[in-house]
Amino acid sequence: MSPNTTSSTGKDKLIADEEEVLQAVVLADSFNKRFKPLTTHKPRCLLPICNAPLLDWTFESLALAGVQEIFVICRSHAELVKTAIKNSKWSKPGAGLKIVPIVTAKETFTPGDAMRDIYTHGIITSDFVLVTGDLVSNIHIGDVVREHKERRKMDKDAIMTMVVKQSGVNHRTRSKGDSAVFVIDPETSKCLHYEAVTGYPPKKYASIPREILNEHPEVEIRNDLIDCSIDICSVEVPSLFQDNFDYGDVRRDFVHGVLTSDLLMKSIYCYVAKEGYAARVRDTRSYDSISKDILSRWTFPLVPDDNHPGGHSYEHLRGNKYIAKDNSVILSRTCKIGNNTLIGSKSQIADNAQVTASVLGQRCIVGAGSIVRNSYLFDGAVIGPNCVVEHSIIGSGVHIKERTHVERGCLIADGVVVGPQAKLAPFSRLSKRRQDSDEEDEEFEDAEEHFEEEEDGDDEGEDGDDEDEVDSELEDVEANQDPKALAKLGSDTNAIIWPLPVVDEDEAIDDLEHPDNQRLMRIGDNASDLVLSDPGSVTSSESESDSDDDDDDEHFYDSNPASSTTSLPLSTPSNLVAQADSAVISEFQQEVKQSLDRAFAEGHSVDNAAVELKTLRMASNVSLRLVREAVIAAMVSRIKIIAGGGIPQRQEIASMIARWGGLIDKIGGVDPVETVEILQEYCASSDRLPLFGQILAALYQDDIVDEDDIRAWHGMSKSQGQGVKPATLQDCYNKCWVTGAHMIKQFDEQDSDEESEEDSDEGSETREPAVKNPVTKELPLAGGNSSEEGSCEESSDEEDEGDTDEDDSE
Amino acid sequence: MNFDVTPVEVVTREFVAVILAGFGNELLPLTGEHGDEPCPKALLPISNKPMLDYPLSWVEQSGIKDVLLICPSSHRSAISHYIHSQSSSASFSSVHIDLQTFDESQELSAGTCSVLRHFANRIKEDFILIPCDFIPPPSLPLSKLLNKFRTDTMSDGSIVTSCWYEHKSDKQATQDEWGWGSPAKPTPIVWDHLSGTLLYVDSPYETDKNRHELELRMTLLSRYPQAKLSSMLLDSHVYVCKRAVLDLLARKTRFDSLRDDFFPWLCKLQYQSTKQEKYATSIRIGIIIHRADDGFAIRVNNLPAYLEANRHFVADTSIGDFTRVEEKSTIKNSTIGKHCVIGKMVKIVGCVLLDHCVISDGAKLDGCILGNSTTVGTKAELVKCVTQAGYEVKDNESVRHEKLDISDWAAQPEDSEGDDEDSIGEEESDEDED
Repeated sequence: MSPNTTSSTGKDKLIADEEEVLQAVVLADSFNKRFKPLTTHKPRCLLPICNAPLLDWTFESLALAGVQEIFVICRSHAELVKTAIKNSKWSKPGAGLKIVPIVTAKETFTPGDAMRDIYTHGIITSDFVLVTGDLVSNIHIGDVVREHKERRKMDKDAIMTMVVKQSGVNHRTRSKGDSAVFVIDPETSKCLHYEAVTGYPPKKYASIPREILNEHPEVEIRNDLIDCSIDICSVEVPSLFQDNFDYGDVRRDFVHGVLTSDLLMKSIYCYVAKEGYAARVRDTRSYDSISKDILSRWTFPLVPDDNHPGGHSYEHLRGNKYIAKDNSVILSRTCKIGNNTLIGSKSQIADNAQVTASVLGQRCIVGAGSIVRNSYLFDGAVIGPNCVVEHSIIGSGVHIKERTHVERGCLIADGVVVGPQAKLAPFSRLSKRRQDSDEEDEEFEDAEEHFEEEEDGDDEGEDGDDEDEVDSELEDVEANQDPKALAKLGSDTNAIIWPLPVVDEDEAIDDLEHPDNQRLMRIGDNASDLVLSDPGSVTSSESESDSDDDDDDEHFYDSNPASSTTSLPLSTPSNLVAQADSAVISEFQQEVKQSLDRAFAEGHSVDNAAVELKTLRMASNVSLRLVREAVIAAMVSRIKIIAGGGIPQRQEIASMIARWGGLIDKIGGVDPVETVEILQEYCASSDRLPLFGQILAALYQDDIVDEDDIRAWHGMSKSQGQGVKPATLQDCYNKCWVTGAHMIKQFDEQDSDEESEEDSDEGSETREPAVKNPVTKELPLAGGNSSEEGSCEESSDEEDEGDTDEDDSE
Repeated sequence: MNFDVTPVEVVTREFVAVILAGFGNELLPLTGEHGDEPCPKALLPISNKPMLDYPLSWVEQSGIKDVLLICPSSHRSAISHYIHSQSSSASFSSVHIDLQTFDESQELSAGTCSVLRHFANRIKEDFILIPCDFIPPPSLPLSKLLNKFRTDTMSDGSIVTSCWYEHKSDKQATQDEWGWGSPAKPTPIVWDHLSGTLLYVDSPYETDKNRHELELRMTLLSRYPQAKLSSMLLDSHVYVCKRAVLDLLARKTRFDSLRDDFFPWLCKLQYQSTKQEKYATSIRIGIIIHRADDGFAIRVNNLPAYLEANRHFVADTSIGDFTRVEEKSTIKNSTIGKHCVIGKMVKIVGCVLLDHCVISDGAKLDGCILGNSTTVGTKAELVKCVTQAGYEVKDNESVRHEKLDISDWAAQPEDSEGDDEDSIGEEESDEDED
């Protein structure tokens, strides 16, 4: 622990006595882009919440906890962060806090990468506090650190203590989209299992390993904890990240990994804070809720009128209204200021304007008759007269001109001008065009393309980074503007619209960052159209009587994503499924064709070919019919059309069917009616139409189809070509059907033959059995086309024979 | 006491107690037949009182007047004799016991669900399901369960109140050695401490489905975010139920066991809204947890539990009436039944002897359970054995860690050399009948 202790005897004592410097590591990068486009030009940790940058709130929280040394890991906009630290009150002499910014490589894409960076820097000497740069907390982390150190004396393997806050399941600060179930031993508060929960699609089950019960017979399953993202870590933690290079997220990868690993043998504890407040601004929704929490003084003593991290001073009025104290705020006599509102200095509220449950930065102006509700205006934002702004975040220097309507959930980046008389759709995201010169010529792209680009470098997930990268992203966005949508932003606008998030099919996007899940993290989105509750489905044991419930479930699934209100141009799931299906099918057909090609070319046995087909079918999970289609197509297409027809043609067909016909019934199911149907379908649409009758006869002779099957097929309406288009094809269908009809006629005649023969020919048994069999088997050869005289002759011969027999009997 | 005359029907009978007395297959060979006579589990003595006495007196103390006692038809006469006999009727004078039987054989016993379905028409009111083998702790009166049930049903839609107990066995290790089967394994359950709601009961089906993980619905965890999971609790199988439970049971015909099928299913129903709509009831299952520190509770449904229950109630040794012990014998930590004869120089340590046992001179018994009328030959030595009623241990025989039942004994004639020839013949003929 402390490297300077040399004698092993006094070591324990030294650790106990020596007052170590408490270190903290602040991850000043969010590693995601939920605040885009607000974060295109500054990192999230410098966004103001209640008029002070998030980073300052974090420092304030850490100072309150008695932290003395802070390492700030910055990546995107590192220079801005550094400057901000240099200019903050903490850098002044006597602040009692040493803040060291550490700039990491651009390739740092996850908190895990940052931890590995910390390890290589070797800056950590003892237990440290790991927080993110967007923390608002008044929890006494010092107590937790003490507890952690006590525990370390007993259990060297206790490497981490997570601070979690007890709340309700539906607490506004508890993220619905990104929460977790903790399984905790109530006596030792050891965390035994961590299960991350994403909000959408709703997670159905939490799986708790049974083996934890062996050592901990009684545990608590907590689903009501807010993860404050405050971790007390031991020095081993960065090295564990180093050893397990695939750990990305601290919770989903590291905690889960450590708890499930049977090799690491490390343990993680929870500190369930019952008092105090701690939360991090993970997304715009939590930005909203934490702002409200601050205004309603849950974070006391960190409140706007006292200990304000930005150093502003506000006067606290009844109803949690805060007005800057320096008398620079100009409130019109007729304006209305609602509860839970903070107004920064030099702001002006004009006549008849209403400001409710909102935060106004410094130098904001709200024009006459405008309404600002549940919104956050950064410094210098100007709202023109008669505007409505709801549930939105407005960047600094934004100018919203008169009679503009900003619907809920809009994010407007710094410096944007909107209006006049614009109407912003809900959840619009606007940022400023880089050059203010007209670039209308760039906007020739279609609206469709508009949705296809974007989000390519997604797993990097960053808050804006390299200027190049930002530029390229901006360029993309700018290049794909929809002129109609832009037109709605008013004549004076300099804005571009950021596209709605779409799912790129090819890209493996994790559930957490899925747009539907992200909707649960957006400001102003009540996501009422997403079905989040699990209605309680049916386990497979509940088979027979409860099958109706099953249907319900499927129904829910079907209706879910399609019902997004925001008219997202998402391809509907059914489409996606259909596309995926057709892809699978065509791939399958391709493979079957190849497989059969091989089989035919190399002369495999029927059984081997059948096994291969079965495997293929299992692999792609397609219906049996497809296999049958493929087999029949392969067979029929290989029958050579012999110009003269006649007997050679028949022999050709017979040999093919004799060799391969058995395959039809060995593909995993026997359905002769379907076989005939498919044969018809194939013949009708290929040049082997004339062969239909002969092939059918050959199949009949090899017992692949029998009389009843042909009759059944014949009885089906589709066999006559009903509903088949185009008309030419229908014609072909019909020809086949006629051929079949002819054959059936022969069957009929033959049947009566047999009967008559049996009736009459009792005496002539010596001859009959020998003849009768070949007759019944060989007989049916339908004509239906002129080219097969031979067969026609033969069949007519037999017909004649039959006729005469019939005559005899009668 | 005249049990045959039905007392005047009280207008509002709040509860009827349904006591299920089964065969007790887990207690074989103790519950094996003695000749033609059955040895009902319900009448196995625990510290010289039949097991059935414990739940009956529990019921009586709570003020419940009506008991529906369900037993296999083959046990009817024995149990009927017992409840009408002087010894029990004196103590249960205020309880009306309706003895009903169902047909089943020891080998193929009907599930508890079907038994209950069969008698559903006899149960007109809310009922308490009690197994005959639950030895309730004095600190847990039945009225505590009833009160919880009453408040829960009034305040929300609770339809069942269950009772789980913690059982700490200090002799776990030794019991495993005996080879009698380990004591009942606790079932993992999830419950909500604040509202006293049973949320999840692990069932064999769940174990089959996922052996490594318990799968809990998120809806459960959202509704009860501070649920507790424990694998220390045992099901007392005491359930206070609303009459509606029988209707549900009637609809789910494929359920066989109440404990393994029906109640786990009912638990799941609590947080599955679609299913609740289907059954048109709001469902909640209350739970009372009895901790080991609050008093001894046990279900005597296997041999180790039987031995433990006997030991628990006997401080050192108890000897039943009319038992004769000859000189120079030592008996320690044991329960000896009535009408036993114990010879000279016999050493008995940690045993349970049922009635009418005969122990010949010089025999040594250690940790054994001897069924009714077992005879032990001279200088025989038994260590940790269980015998079926009527078993005979021959002279000088030494047996360890075995379940001695009569069929085994008859199958090995060399063991029975020198013993009563008649009895062998009898047993063999019995077997043939089977």
